[in-house]
Amino acid sequence: MNDIVEEIRQAYAAVGIALDQPATYGTYYRLLCAGCGKMVGNVGDRLLPSMARELVAEQFDLYAAGLLGCACGHQLATVRRTDPARADAARRRHGD
Amino acid sequence: MADEAKTPGEMRVIDDAEQRGRTELWPFWRRAYAQGDPLPRFVAPPGRPGHQFDEGEPLPEEYKGLLIKMLRHEGERAGNKSFLGFMATCLDLAEAIAPDAEARLLKAEYLAEELKHAIMFHRVAVGLDRDFALRDVPYAHYAFHLPRETWLDDAYFHFFVDLNGAFHSRDWRESSYLPLRTMAATVERDELGHSEMGYYFLAQACAERRGRQLAQALLSKWYPAALDMFGRSDSPNAPKFIQWGLKSVGNAEIRQAYKAYVDGKLAALGLDLPDERKRRRFL
Repeated sequence: MNDIVEEIRQAYAAVGIALDQPATYGTYYRLLCAGCGKMVGNVGDRLLPSMARELVAEQFDLYAAGLLGCACGHQLATVRRTDPARADAARRRHGD
Repeated sequence: MADEAKTPGEMRVIDDAEQRGRTELWPFWRRAYAQGDPLPRFVAPPGRPGHQFDEGEPLPEEYKGLLIKMLRHEGERAGNKSFLGFMATCLDLAEAIAPDAEARLLKAEYLAEELKHAIMFHRVAVGLDRDFALRDVPYAHYAFHLPRETWLDDAYFHFFVDLNGAFHSRDWRESSYLPLRTMAATVERDELGHSEMGYYFLAQACAERRGRQLAQALLSKWYPAALDMFGRSDSPNAPKFIQWGLKSVGNAEIRQAYKAYVDGKLAALGLDLPDERKRRRFL
């Protein structure tokens, strides 16, 4: 596994999303909800270094507000456990 | 033995299939072009040599190298398995996160048109270099690899990335390579339509408060990638492309025209435009 894929895997694990096996000749990967296994998106392996980590970190508030993430609520619950104060602030800001 | 007189030409069959696929929405390019030419014109610098090459003619080594480099970036070739793989991810994503059946069907129309391009570019590639025609070239630019976790991500992908294709195709209308010039208008029109499809989904989302919040947040992910797709403004290859008639303008100029276009469309949705230098990787 290359460094970028490992970075993607770790970044998404922090918000409750698992990286599936490579699909379509190894270039793209499904993103699966780590709670229920449902597909929640996809990502490619040619991101630049640090990009996955930054993008997912910046989406923290969107998961907290329920604007991103699986309908089962696993990402929402995960980020609330990680940083309850920031998650609550994000939820208030987005009017959820 | 088939009666050839009664068998329509293959392009007519494709044209007929496309005609029957028309709906009030699809193809999206219809409404865009009905209001006039939506794209800017690119004018080559005066005094440029008037090169012109057709399929089968011997090509100068540098010219052929640049042409292949350009087509590698474009990627939509039947012999490029990574392109077909990327198309598969589009269907996979639509199955998982499309808001409704209409959206999935529109996505399938998009795929049908991209596969048509794969036939067209395959012909160009075979006429140019058979080895290249079969070469697997995964998309190298990170814009093709950004995570798509909502239908809005996908809408931005089409709005921005397919529009990049439309702008380049617009420039190919004046290409010195005749097979590319011949198909440029069709590809431009289709890619503009794909961008309009993305914009349609974007506008739908922005009609609701939370949808607009998400669109505003995700714009900071897609906008820099979109501007980065045109490459560095000081690319050493740009003058060579222009000199050989493969492009009319440099990276900075086409990026600026593109930015003016997308900024107007985004502002019309009430979205705040990001700082154009923020998060950029290729200035």
